[in-house]
Amino acid sequence: MSTEAMTPDYFSNCTHCGFCLAVCPTYKLTGDENNSPRGRLRLWSEEAAGRLPQDKWTDFYTAECVGCLACETACPATVPYGEIFEHIRHEHVASHRFKPKLALRLAAAAVTRPMLFNLALLPARLLRKAGFKLHRFLFPGRPAALKSTAAYAEELMQRHRPTGPRVAFLTGCLMEAMFREINFATVRVLIENNVQVIIPESQGCCGAFQEHTGLDGVEALREQNRRAFGSLDVDAIVCNSSGCGYALGKTLQPGKQVRDVLGYLGDLSPVRRQRGRDDGTRVYVDLPCHLVHGQKAAGIPANVLDATGYRWELAPKAKDCCGSGGVYNIQKPENAHTILADKSAFLNEAKGAPVILGTSNHVCMMQWHSAGATGLVTRPFEVRHIIQLLDPGENFSIPSTSPQP
Amino acid sequence: MTSPVKSSLEHQLKALLPRGRVLTSAAQLAGYGADGLGYKNHLPDAVVIPADAEELAGFMRGAKALGVPVVMRGAGTSLSGGPVAVQGGVVVHTSALKKIREINTEGFWCEVECGVGLNDLDAALKPYGVFYPPDPSSGPVCTLGGNVASNAGGAHCFRYGVTSNYVLGVEAIMLDGSLHRFGGPAGGRGPWREDWKRFMIGSEGTLAAFTRFWLRLLPLPEKVWTFRATYPDMKTTEAAIHALVAHSSYPAAIEMLDPRGVAMVESSQMACGLPEGSFMLLVEIDGPEALVNARVQSVAELLRQAGSNDVMFSDEEALRQKLWKARKASGGLLGQLSPSYVVQDAVIPKRALAEVLQLVYDEADAANIRAVNIFHAGDGNLHPNFLFDSRVPGELEKVELISKRLMQRVIEVGGTLSGEHGIGNDKSAYMPLVFGPDSMRLQLSVPAAFNPAHQMNPLKVFDNRHFVA
Repeated sequence: MSTEAMTPDYFSNCTHCGFCLAVCPTYKLTGDENNSPRGRLRLWSEEAAGRLPQDKWTDFYTAECVGCLACETACPATVPYGEIFEHIRHEHVASHRFKPKLALRLAAAAVTRPMLFNLALLPARLLRKAGFKLHRFLFPGRPAALKSTAAYAEELMQRHRPTGPRVAFLTGCLMEAMFREINFATVRVLIENNVQVIIPESQGCCGAFQEHTGLDGVEALREQNRRAFGSLDVDAIVCNSSGCGYALGKTLQPGKQVRDVLGYLGDLSPVRRQRGRDDGTRVYVDLPCHLVHGQKAAGIPANVLDATGYRWELAPKAKDCCGSGGVYNIQKPENAHTILADKSAFLNEAKGAPVILGTSNHVCMMQWHSAGATGLVTRPFEVRHIIQLLDPGENFSIPSTSPQP
Repeated sequence: MTSPVKSSLEHQLKALLPRGRVLTSAAQLAGYGADGLGYKNHLPDAVVIPADAEELAGFMRGAKALGVPVVMRGAGTSLSGGPVAVQGGVVVHTSALKKIREINTEGFWCEVECGVGLNDLDAALKPYGVFYPPDPSSGPVCTLGGNVASNAGGAHCFRYGVTSNYVLGVEAIMLDGSLHRFGGPAGGRGPWREDWKRFMIGSEGTLAAFTRFWLRLLPLPEKVWTFRATYPDMKTTEAAIHALVAHSSYPAAIEMLDPRGVAMVESSQMACGLPEGSFMLLVEIDGPEALVNARVQSVAELLRQAGSNDVMFSDEEALRQKLWKARKASGGLLGQLSPSYVVQDAVIPKRALAEVLQLVYDEADAANIRAVNIFHAGDGNLHPNFLFDSRVPGELEKVELISKRLMQRVIEVGGTLSGEHGIGNDKSAYMPLVFGPDSMRLQLSVPAAFNPAHQMNPLKVFDNRHFVA
């Protein structure tokens, strides 16, 4: 995205058809057309054309956007809404028309220094590991406190010596600092499927945090990742968080293709987990917005979901936003809660024991977990990353039938 | 700077809508300046979003005293300027009135509020094995209120008919605050002596505010077959259309894409292998399985005999979607090609198809305007799309001139103005081409009877329908 000022031309391919209204979470929430992509584009283009002065309501409706990008999927005229929105949000923050919450500003500064961020969250990792319920967003898990994913991957590479395709893995900032157990599971699943995993040491935050908040610094992070990933000789670059994957994909294109790890595994027909005959588990699969609307993936491949060994089905409205929207559930908690209330209601009646809500983005996982913690869903359910449902555990070996180079 | 008049309006509106929303800031009105014709912008003085039907009724009771025009709006997807405040005033956005109140599978009807989305209704009906046939392309977002107001059609209305064939009853509130039910679940056989609901359908917001409808449903067809055929020229395409219309298989839909539409699809990411320079026909037959299956070969044979050596057909959902792909993608692709476009909406006798299409090409080429034809061929409902850039001085005027010439010819060949989009303010200038002064006077007396000052959606349908406070 260029940093040039928006010109009215930029908005010109919105023909005002209105197809985005039906899929927009904030339009559905408020019924106010200004609070829809078509409305926002109109506000921004009128302001850019000098027909509308700066207005607190323009600021309000801009800040209301979740950034789910469902409108991009619905748009017949392929308006690059996400790109425009990102630019406008940055402009609004830079010109003090919008101020992200203090916690987000601090976090945005912290993620640019991964060592510090990892250290700062060490107590949180330890407490999560010990089973403390720290916050409505923090789903349970047992992250390694000290060993990094990079060190772990190197250890497993030595032990198992996979011979298949080589992938570089973006470990992420919050994923690494807080939800490291998902990264570990990702490494195990890839290596079990005979994939060689490389974790470039010089990688940084994907920049999604800055994109979501509109804060400065995204270009430096992108440059860091272009250096870390740009010249690697690998078959693919994979991410296990669809938001990070979307951000890194934008950074490295054209040239390098960034894949969601589940989509990548779909091409390999992953090793299938065996479950007991009488296992009554039912997995409801929710598709992260930045996977289907950002990365434009069709979904999570059926063979990958089958390989979990569980009975699964797509959650109702699986392609609709859960309200997490990167940092939206922190910036606009009331809206996020209402969006989640509608989306999660089915879980109260959903068949299966136990019930798992499976998805592929840690931010969505946090949001879904809060449905239980805030009483929207009253029956017990677990939130898991789909990669965790494919996890062979510590003791595994590479099957002899795995894909060869 | 807020004028005293405006602040008084805001004050009155807030009193009328204690629970709903009242928008009056410049940046809150900007989103309501246009409908699907994005380049025509008329800002209202205020927008209200009633919280529910009760509040809408309350608003209507007080609306007359506001002394400003009242313009109803559903999702604002229309292509005729209908839900836009051309003479200023208050836009009433019915986005919160989206309750499906009853689905009655014994009587094959449903009761819905005016803001229910068309495809939302479809999704709700499906588990019951019933459907509501009108299917305008804006289905994912358009509302039933807008559908009834413009008497919407769609691809399948060749056999199934348009909205008016499915409205059993309309509940409407007049500006005097009186609430009326024209018809109901029992259709026209209500307390009103004549079929008054028919006045409401296609009235484009000029008579009253709709609150709810009773709609007729049909059982979902057991079986659907979709056919796609391409033709080398207009003559063979026309032969196929004529043969289809007369055929005993009674197709549900006959859709057409002209070579310029085909070229547009084929040069996009939606390309599906249509031969260059060809006309594409999309045909669908449906009904009881045994009956429809027995007709498949005869339809395929008919399409071949008319001159196509490229006939594909399927009854499998995934393949059917593939056959529909070019037709469904075409509308959106227009938006990728140019910043603005006008979709005309004329109905012509089928025998005049080739002649009118040629006129479209000649006029557009002479003016250096791109024209693409995507339309409902079965019922002669033409949709020539003129692609232009509204920011280039003179382009809109050129398109308007072509449109006018097209309409003149349409009327000369015995056609009429609007198949399904409504007149709005986009086609009101052409009304005198179709109707003489006596006829215009008679028609104008209808909205005058319902709201004598023309406070409801003024300057729509009739160019001279001004609201005078």
